[in-house]
Amino acid sequence: MFNDSFKRGAAEGFRAFLPLSVGIVPWAVVTGVAMRSIGLSPLEAMGMNAIVYAGTAQLGTLPLIAAGAPLWLLVLTALVLNLRFVIFSAALAPAFAGYTRRRRVFSSYLLVDGVFAVLSERILKSDDPHWRWGCYIAPSAWCWVLWQTFTLVGVLGAGVLPANWSLEFMATIALLVMLVPMSATRPMLVAALVGGLGTVLLRGLPLKLGMIAGIALGIAAGFAAEHWQRGGRRA
Amino acid sequence: MSEGLWLWITLAAIGSTTILTRGSFIIPGERARLPATLQRALRYAPAAALAALVAPDVLLADGELSPFNPRLAAAVVVTLVCLRSRNPWLPFIAGMGVLLLLSKGFGLG
Repeated sequence: MFNDSFKRGAAEGFRAFLPLSVGIVPWAVVTGVAMRSIGLSPLEAMGMNAIVYAGTAQLGTLPLIAAGAPLWLLVLTALVLNLRFVIFSAALAPAFAGYTRRRRVFSSYLLVDGVFAVLSERILKSDDPHWRWGCYIAPSAWCWVLWQTFTLVGVLGAGVLPANWSLEFMATIALLVMLVPMSATRPMLVAALVGGLGTVLLRGLPLKLGMIAGIALGIAAGFAAEHWQRGGRRA
Repeated sequence: MSEGLWLWITLAAIGSTTILTRGSFIIPGERARLPATLQRALRYAPAAALAALVAPDVLLADGELSPFNPRLAAAVVVTLVCLRSRNPWLPFIAGMGVLLLLSKGFGLG
């Protein structure tokens, strides 16, 4: 299982993801503090962290849990906040199709934005299943450990940690660090601009569906730009 | 006790959306293949999704468009740093520096 090409894949995946993973740290701490602030015990907070393992869905549902919202509303909100992973799952599925079912379930649970954003293209291009697995699982497992560790810091340090330093902005910086080099080609830039502005302009849609609509528009615009660019060259 | 149990049921229900969405295409494996065209279009998903996560955070303040706010200024600086340097830590230092300088130093936003 841990042969040479697995190790080479793991090293490449880990190296590409390591600098960006620092952005997870403040985000995890903030999530830990937020879970304690609505009255979850440390055990309940870390349980939620392990079971849900999705920062956006956790932060998004906390106010609803605190308000005693009905279960269906909690699930619906979490579903909408996680909906972008359906797109990621569809994009990555061909790379995982040959693996065992247990491995597919495990890798689904570990799927996060950062690893998908930085490594999906490399993983899909590789013909070597061992290399692919290493390249995916090493940074994903690292991300899980980092997330659990620093959420625990937030959970235990809630009340002691200084607020008001806007440290959660480091998560946004990490996303930008991934986004900028990705937008080097014109269709990618179009996809990013339409995806971002679309989400902002559609923010009035109910149930936070504006983000999903924005992502869908961005994908369509990028694809259209690619065809338009190719057509232009041919003419 | 029953309240504690109910909370764990709630957490499990919320958690089910994690595996449902992330596993939606990965877990069925060969049985859920998307058409090739759609698969190629999905190459634009990471860029669109990252921008969709970033844009509201830097363009909105209290749910309203806010073109002059410290977070947008910091995001512009981060973008410029990413274009000019390969140093992986510099965007974080520059971005947080600008944000804290503008919001704490000058009392903006």
